[in-house]
Amino acid sequence: MTTIDEFIALLRDELGLEVTADDAGRRLDELPGWDSVHLLWMVAHMEEATDRQVPLPALLEAPNIEELFALYAA
Amino acid sequence: MSTAAQDRLRELHRGRELVASYPEVPALLAELPEERLGWAGQLLARLDPDEVLAAHPGVTAVTVAVTGHGTLNPLVPALTAELARHGLLLRPVTSSFDSYVADLSDPGSALAAANADLTLCVLDPMIVFDEIPVPWSADDAAKTLAGKVQLLDWLAGQAGGHGSGTLVYNTLPLPRRFAAQLVDHRSRARLGAAWRTGNADLLALAERHPGLVVLDLDPLLAEGVGADDARLSVYAKAHLRPELLAAYARQVAHLARHQLGRTKKVLALDLDGTVWGGVLGEDGPDGIEVAGGYRGDAFQAFQRTVRQLGAQGVLVTAVSKNDLEPVREVLRTHPELALREEDFVRVSANWEPKPGNLCETAAVLNVGLDSFVFVDDSPYECGLVRRELPEVAVVAVGEDPAGHVARLLADGWFDVREVTADDRARPGRYRDERTRADFLHSFQSLDDYLRELGVVVRFGPARPRDLGRLSQLTLRTNQFNLTTDRLQPAELDAVVADPRREVHAIRSADRFGDNGIVGAVFTRREDDGVHIDNFLLSCRVFSRGIEQACLAAVLRAARDGGAAAVHGTYRPTKKNAGVRDFLPRHGFLAVHEDEAATTYRHDLAELPEVPQYVRLVENEEESPR
Repeated sequence: MTTIDEFIALLRDELGLEVTADDAGRRLDELPGWDSVHLLWMVAHMEEATDRQVPLPALLEAPNIEELFALYAA
Repeated sequence: MSTAAQDRLRELHRGRELVASYPEVPALLAELPEERLGWAGQLLARLDPDEVLAAHPGVTAVTVAVTGHGTLNPLVPALTAELARHGLLLRPVTSSFDSYVADLSDPGSALAAANADLTLCVLDPMIVFDEIPVPWSADDAAKTLAGKVQLLDWLAGQAGGHGSGTLVYNTLPLPRRFAAQLVDHRSRARLGAAWRTGNADLLALAERHPGLVVLDLDPLLAEGVGADDARLSVYAKAHLRPELLAAYARQVAHLARHQLGRTKKVLALDLDGTVWGGVLGEDGPDGIEVAGGYRGDAFQAFQRTVRQLGAQGVLVTAVSKNDLEPVREVLRTHPELALREEDFVRVSANWEPKPGNLCETAAVLNVGLDSFVFVDDSPYECGLVRRELPEVAVVAVGEDPAGHVARLLADGWFDVREVTADDRARPGRYRDERTRADFLHSFQSLDDYLRELGVVVRFGPARPRDLGRLSQLTLRTNQFNLTTDRLQPAELDAVVADPRREVHAIRSADRFGDNGIVGAVFTRREDDGVHIDNFLLSCRVFSRGIEQACLAAVLRAARDGGAAAVHGTYRPTKKNAGVRDFLPRHGFLAVHEDEAATTYRHDLAELPEVPQYVRLVENEEESPR
């Protein structure tokens, strides 16, 4: 997982979210179909895929996809 | 194959074709690796059930209301996938966070208004630990839990009063992060006991409330599904791990299937590689792996499980590529097979493709193919049935028999709310009908039966190629075994090599087929006459006159050979009490008796008869020795 495009592709293909690169900066609660389940699901998936844990509070507080990705890219 | 299903699902999702292609979904899910089901659930949960129904009016929708204590949203994708596996479309009705008391008690609640088929009230340990003060004792937890069980009892009564569907509770896991807060083992044990009492009381609620099912999570936890993820619990108020919710969703889907009258009725089993190891046609009845040994024990466990299901009303049938007679023979006479012919309501053994055999079985039993579960170890056969008969549930048990039981039971195909006396009697009814069709005469007595059985006994010196089986018989036969002398192959070779000794093999056959070698008589010639060192017979052929015929043959041969008498010994063991009277019943007189053995002598004045219904053929083939 090296680019935000890959991250967005993952949200599309793994979570079934209708998101594009244009949505990266939008607030998560404005994304069509987003809810907290997706975050939990994404966390589980990313931990498996990257073998590292990002603190959940930080993820829960991330306002948009960009910042979610930044937490994993850090 | 599995990646193909995954690729196809992804392709349908990307192309927004999941709704249009929804009827393809159950088959794709069947091929999907287990760990990708959650993913599929995510995609499918995005679909609007109304759109799916509009496109496919034949799809069955099931309304499931979800309430409980914690965050339960992850349950929806899991339920979506699990129901879709069974061709059911989820209409979820979710409630707001921690509102189960209002949801269940208020007839005007949105949840009650949904009139769901199933209402899931998902219970987690935090219903207790969110309420107890700090510091707390085991008794505090016990009291709070008991109070919750009381509340749930009352709620089940309320919900039962105004709902028509089924209410589902579950037992509560006990996370270590709470148990370990009690530092003394005595308190911790008291907490554990109280917790289990609470769960037991919860489970017992189902006895009182006809509309309530309580799912026991312990068996799921025992499979290694974690219950508790502190991060998810603390940060997201998701008090049960998604993995546990997924396993729970699977149980719920089984319940939904039953609720909708889709419980399976027929278990159609392949035989070679599924019920036993090896290939009957090649390995023969003595070569297949039925019990004992690593793989034999695994197959034995599977046979016992099938038998257990059959006893609860499941109609067990066999669909095997084999000749019929050897299959019937194994089912009738294999000494170790836990499944007998009477455990099957029908046996199809032929070389026709299996889908045709399944159709025929469905017609004979007058049961729809959608009531069938087909189990086979061959991917080819599984694939063929999936393709030709999509309504049949296919369980591919794979190569390792140790996994057969879990695979068979994984999907609760036969789960019902309650097994009735009628259910238990069902296989018997089908069997009776089959018996009437198969055997037109009824038997007046055992003698008549034996006469019709047409038993032929071949009695003669053991041939070199018989020795393996004979050694095995001495090692395995416990009941009809006069002295229980166990002979390893090398020891048996020594016996055979001794010119004073003779080993007589007993073969039998009847109208149902050839039983092969079923017993042996070991004799030794001494100055005072012939000694029977041992006499043993496989338990599958007792009491058909075979033992009497062979004893008569031994006695006659001894007299014809000029022996003064025949001597025999009975050495009691835990299992051979049935043959205690065998020698005296046939004219032997006890000579000496102590705890270890009784010795007998027959004076050869009056010889026992060969029973009329047995045809005895002696020394048919001379030993090549």
